[in-house]
Amino acid sequence: MKPRILPLAVIGGLLLAACGTSNAPTSSSQQGGSVSLWAEWSSNEQNAFQGALQPYQTQSGTTVNYSSKGSNIDTVLEAAVAGGAPPDIALIPDPGTLQTLAKQGKITDLTSILGGLSSNYGSAWNTLASYNGKLYGVWFKGANKNTIWYNPAEFAAAGLSSPPTTWEELIQDAGTLKAAGVTPFSLCTDVGWPVADFWQNVYLKTAGAAMYNQLSAHSIKWTDASVTTAFTTMAQLVGTPTNLAGGLQGSLSNPYPACVDKVFPKAGAQPKAAMVFEGDFVSLEITGNSTNYTPGTTGSGGAACTADPAKTPCYSFFDFPAPSADSANKSAIQGAGDVAVMLKDTPQSEALMKYLAGPDGAAIWAHLGGFASPNNKVPTSAYPDPVSKGIAQALVGASSFVFSLDDLQGTWEKNMWQDLLDFLKNPSNVSTIETTMDQQATAGLGH
Amino acid sequence: MRMAARSLGRGHPTLRAVGVSTPAGAPAATLKADATTGRPAGGGGRRDQLGSLLFLAPAAIWLLAITIYPVVVTFRNSVFDETATSYVGLHNYQVIFSDASILVTFRNNLIWVVIFPFVVTFLGLTFAVLTERIRWSTAFKTIIFMPIVFSATASALIWRTIFDLDPHIGMVNAAVQTASDWVNPPGLYPVDTSAGQTAAAFASTGLSPGASGALQSSSTAAAGDTVQLGLIGVNVGTLQVVGAQTAVPPSPSSGAISGLVYRDFSPSHPTDRGQLFPDTDGLPGMLLTLLRSDGSSAGTATTDQHGDFRFGNVGTGSYRVQLDARNFRSGFTGIFWLGGQSVTPTSHLSQTAQALLSVPLVDLAMIIAYLWMWAGFAMVVIGAGLTSLNRELLEAGRVDGATEAQIFRRITMPLLAPVLVVVLVTMIINVLKIFDVILNMAPGSSQGDASTLALAMFNEGFTGGIHSGLASAIAVILFLLVIPAMVANLRRIRG
Repeated sequence: MKPRILPLAVIGGLLLAACGTSNAPTSSSQQGGSVSLWAEWSSNEQNAFQGALQPYQTQSGTTVNYSSKGSNIDTVLEAAVAGGAPPDIALIPDPGTLQTLAKQGKITDLTSILGGLSSNYGSAWNTLASYNGKLYGVWFKGANKNTIWYNPAEFAAAGLSSPPTTWEELIQDAGTLKAAGVTPFSLCTDVGWPVADFWQNVYLKTAGAAMYNQLSAHSIKWTDASVTTAFTTMAQLVGTPTNLAGGLQGSLSNPYPACVDKVFPKAGAQPKAAMVFEGDFVSLEITGNSTNYTPGTTGSGGAACTADPAKTPCYSFFDFPAPSADSANKSAIQGAGDVAVMLKDTPQSEALMKYLAGPDGAAIWAHLGGFASPNNKVPTSAYPDPVSKGIAQALVGASSFVFSLDDLQGTWEKNMWQDLLDFLKNPSNVSTIETTMDQQATAGLGH
Repeated sequence: MRMAARSLGRGHPTLRAVGVSTPAGAPAATLKADATTGRPAGGGGRRDQLGSLLFLAPAAIWLLAITIYPVVVTFRNSVFDETATSYVGLHNYQVIFSDASILVTFRNNLIWVVIFPFVVTFLGLTFAVLTERIRWSTAFKTIIFMPIVFSATASALIWRTIFDLDPHIGMVNAAVQTASDWVNPPGLYPVDTSAGQTAAAFASTGLSPGASGALQSSSTAAAGDTVQLGLIGVNVGTLQVVGAQTAVPPSPSSGAISGLVYRDFSPSHPTDRGQLFPDTDGLPGMLLTLLRSDGSSAGTATTDQHGDFRFGNVGTGSYRVQLDARNFRSGFTGIFWLGGQSVTPTSHLSQTAQALLSVPLVDLAMIIAYLWMWAGFAMVVIGAGLTSLNRELLEAGRVDGATEAQIFRRITMPLLAPVLVVVLVTMIINVLKIFDVILNMAPGSSQGDASTLALAMFNEGFTGGIHSGLASAIAVILFLLVIPAMVANLRRIRG
């Protein structure tokens, strides 16, 4: 499918470039030469990314030698840096690696190179790409884990015309859904990571990004009052089995993506719940279930959504809500992303970094789908549907951005998952679980 | 560490063979070599010995490198810290015996060892004896033996599906559902028992919980009155199934109690209760009983497509309308076979006692799956023993007038005992190191409840972070636990 679209993308890219919306300086045109570039993307994503780079290559005459390093790009890159043969530019999924490389002086300070282009990104993003107050990276791609997916037809059946915007509304809507005979939530908790993602969102929305990062580094204890607040808040939703498809046991035997299928079933089945939580990658699972699913709250041609996946079903999401008392954390986002860093300072790589920091490349990939950019200059019209537009807007407008806390816990990550599952099994047991978690965090992180 | 772990039972069949059987088998083989080649040659002198040593050298070096060395390193690491750099004494062992999540693995290993080897030997014996007597026995044997050829991972995944909670996926729950719904048909408006729901959750307007899962009107009614009863939380799918139509308010008629049972939820007014809106549905097919004030029945009725009902010829006195419990009877929603809930009653015990004494259902489900995998092996080994049995003894028994049961018990069994013990002990060793089935069959949410020593060793040593000290200590304990069974098996083989 992608190869057929690719030429379109190239043309689209050329058009965009021709329109003169480019922020890339024209002085760099026709400088020739080549740039080596590493990123984790392969197959379809690689095609899309290379399509996004095409205008730059055409314009400047520079060849980009792309190399896909898969998901262990961090390790590969660190080895290459240690071996003295790094690429010119690398896109890495871990801000921790950026910090390490910046500390070692292996990547270039971009502050003067990018100049005004850095304002294409919100401060949350630039902070994440900085070390010692200097900017070292460009967030080319972002992922949003702040998404609760819902079936608009199920909401309509319960008379709910708009999704909740606060945690209280979410609880209230869950009650309304139940009154209408619709099970509110499908939990993906056959394993620990989805419940960790869920808990982390609750913690981020109740305690805020600063506390989140402190907890992540274990500079506040897991027995902290903020942790208890997150647990009790979460229990308001998951502590009531009637809120969950299949009750507690149904949730504990509900693997990802089966939990998504319960809300967005394959043709021939009826939805078993109205909402499911996980990151933006859920949309792939939904459209994979049936190509009938239309992104947004209305179907194609404005047709009403139906619960029947054989007719005009829709899918949409709303931002993981914060309690109204914590509305300051409303736009804080948990997610992931790929940050471009420059390991060799050549005129070509400088030009490419500027191109990546500009909106043109991102707009091309955005148009192809499966992509969201934190770049505020990427026009929202570049996104093909309201759902991907919404995901990108949330990233652009993020007041703060945090990475998955569990992934930063090293050795005790699996214990953390098990602890959170234990909480799900017995939501009243918070203090014991917190004590256990704090001990495990101490043992795992060494402090 | 990695090699050490392999040698001590990662659970993979080939690794297991390399790890434990070889060091056990090797000395036996060496002894045999001495006995057969050494002695009859009449002590061929130094050169011959040197020659045999030379031939043995590759095997010996191989053995040293992949078995002895890892064992030694594992023992060493078990008294060192996580990075294997500083000596910590018995600290790792202390952790093992104080960490509840590791203690649970001892319980699970015990459950496996107590149940599995005996049942599989019994099954193998039964199959072996029976297949001797039937036609098509080769076909039967092939089918029973087939699972041993499948990879343990594939088998575990097959059984995970068979035991799935959802009756639409899991075969076992589908079978139970069919039986259960036949004996106990679900009502038109079933409650969701899996979420702990009861009929009381449906009561919204004019209703209160009645006797044994029924609902009844909150206020009394007399002849000529109308009653409106609103239910909340009625499944949208159910409405389609029962063909619900717009609710029509009841009209009073003299000498009768008429009324309406309706869905107290209107999509246009999602938060308003107790009112009828144009999009309010009646609830058809609801089975009703008119109750006298003493609770006895004064008649029955069923609601129509619009949710209306009427009890005619009602005498004087006050009545209540009951929505029978059978309306709300839940269908079978599935047994969580792969869950950590205990089959033994331990809820009144302390937390530690609970952890140590409960028998999680998932263990039993996995034992069943493992029986399926290994019954064929036991059958073949025992069958081989059976064919080599001295038939004359059986004939003699028959001539002496013994029944088949007596022959089996008094002649076959004692003669087969050595083979049975070999199967039993092999299986004990096998399940002490049980690993792959648990990793692949228990869902993540039950892994903690189902974990065994081998799995705990793997998790500590290879996933998340590397706790090499702890993992090595678990490996050492596992090794020590396997030794008695191994020694017993060796004695058998030699003797």
